[in-house]
Amino acid sequence: MRTRLLLGAVGVAVAAYGAWLLLQQDRADLVDTGVWLAGGVVLHDFVLVPLTLLLGLVLIRLLPAYLRAPVVGGLVVLGTVTLMAVPVLGGWGANADNPTILDRNYTAGWLVVAGVTILAVVLTIMLTLGGRSGGPGARRR
Amino acid sequence: MTALKTPPIPEQRDFPSRLHHPRVAARVGAWLGICFLVAFATGLISHLAQQPDSWLPSRPVWGYRLTQGVHVAAGTACVPLLLVKLWTVYPRFWIRPPRPSRELLLHVAERTSVGVLVAAAIFQLATGLANVTTWYPWSFSFRSTHFAVAWVVIGALVVHIAVKLPVVREALTGPVDQDEPPGDGLSRRGLVRTAGIASAVAVLLTVGGTVPWLRKVSVLSARSGDGPQDLPINKSARAAGVTASATDPAYRLEVVHGATSISLTRGDLLAMPQTAAGLPIACVEGWSAHGDWSGVRLRDLLDLVGAPRGSAVTVSSLQEQGAFRMTHLPAQFADDELTLLALGLGGEALSIDHGYPARLIAPNRPGVLQTKWVSRLEVEA
Repeated sequence: MRTRLLLGAVGVAVAAYGAWLLLQQDRADLVDTGVWLAGGVVLHDFVLVPLTLLLGLVLIRLLPAYLRAPVVGGLVVLGTVTLMAVPVLGGWGANADNPTILDRNYTAGWLVVAGVTILAVVLTIMLTLGGRSGGPGARRR
Repeated sequence: MTALKTPPIPEQRDFPSRLHHPRVAARVGAWLGICFLVAFATGLISHLAQQPDSWLPSRPVWGYRLTQGVHVAAGTACVPLLLVKLWTVYPRFWIRPPRPSRELLLHVAERTSVGVLVAAAIFQLATGLANVTTWYPWSFSFRSTHFAVAWVVIGALVVHIAVKLPVVREALTGPVDQDEPPGDGLSRRGLVRTAGIASAVAVLLTVGGTVPWLRKVSVLSARSGDGPQDLPINKSARAAGVTASATDPAYRLEVVHGATSISLTRGDLLAMPQTAAGLPIACVEGWSAHGDWSGVRLRDLLDLVGAPRGSAVTVSSLQEQGAFRMTHLPAQFADDELTLLALGLGGEALSIDHGYPARLIAPNRPGVLQTKWVSRLEVEA
């Protein structure tokens, strides 16, 4: 318990230092920082997660049991990687003065990633089916 | 007729998936914590390297290239881990607060610390990823704000670990699938593995901007690695407004030490002993590339004006504005035999976007401080 209290106190001090650094900004920048801090949580908790849960419910209804694990796994990989790639896919940082930034065809790149993911999912399904004697109709599990 | 009923507020039990479990959260959380700590440590190095009076050594030459590449890769790896981790614990968001008492206070304190952690973590990843593409859809300064919020994340993370220590200990003893109810679909082990795979894929798809042999694989990297003389740039001569002054035949490099000063043309510089150095350009945005530079050793120029060893130098650019128009070069870099006033790159004259007529290139330095279009070197008293 003492370790935990000590850890907690250290954590509060470190975070407070960060907050103090933030407060050195002028008011407009501080407000903007606050909007971005809160905006991320709101978007995540009230848009992204509900959409993910909804998609999960739909998939459970639509997909036969033996397909669920590989399909959900593929969607987690593709979904999270796509979110990570939003700034390059949007290309808002592109700069006419500097052709060395955002200089790939990101749509094509994303399609390749999606294609490889689908291929991996299909292969996983085939390997699982091959490993089982009865195939999809057997309802062994 | 009855009025439309508002849907009930969900509760934790409304999320029945067996994947919402501490055994998953603790494992994904451990990896996430490690990645955040690595990003924090390398971020501190980058912050220090950008301080005018940085005491970081000038060796190894690839030091900043490595730490900043790792910084951006670790942050990128966090994205899938954070999303999976937050999904796993999401039902806890709907836990009803306990009856007013000491527990309520503790509950509010814990929820606040988690709220701060989540907000700061999402903020760091979102702003960092945008910065990699030089996209700034906000008014605050990226560098100082990303630095400040980093402390908030790490502080809140330490608090979170302190609060959850018993749960984490319990969850990490024994296998992830201990007491896992049977069912179809992804298993707990499957979800943890998937998070790890997604994280590795995210890194693989972006790290080519700093690991040349992965360029072809990294289809989502903000830089292909191409550029004038096979090296990307961050600011073009046109954007810096130096196209005319950099090509003006009247260009002179001023080297100043107290009352002593000399003025050199590019021809004078080329007539001095030339040194070759293979040094990386490593940018704060996480991209880096190796260049084969040639030019005059900075120390040789300082010798011309009789500057003693151990002198720091102010390097000024032809650029008339911009935060990095003037940089302060600490003595350990000024004295390094690999620090050059570069005139050539890859066996050719330096291209204008790489800083023609002359640029600074020093080992183990952030790219923003490798001043281009150098017009003046002033030895500091």
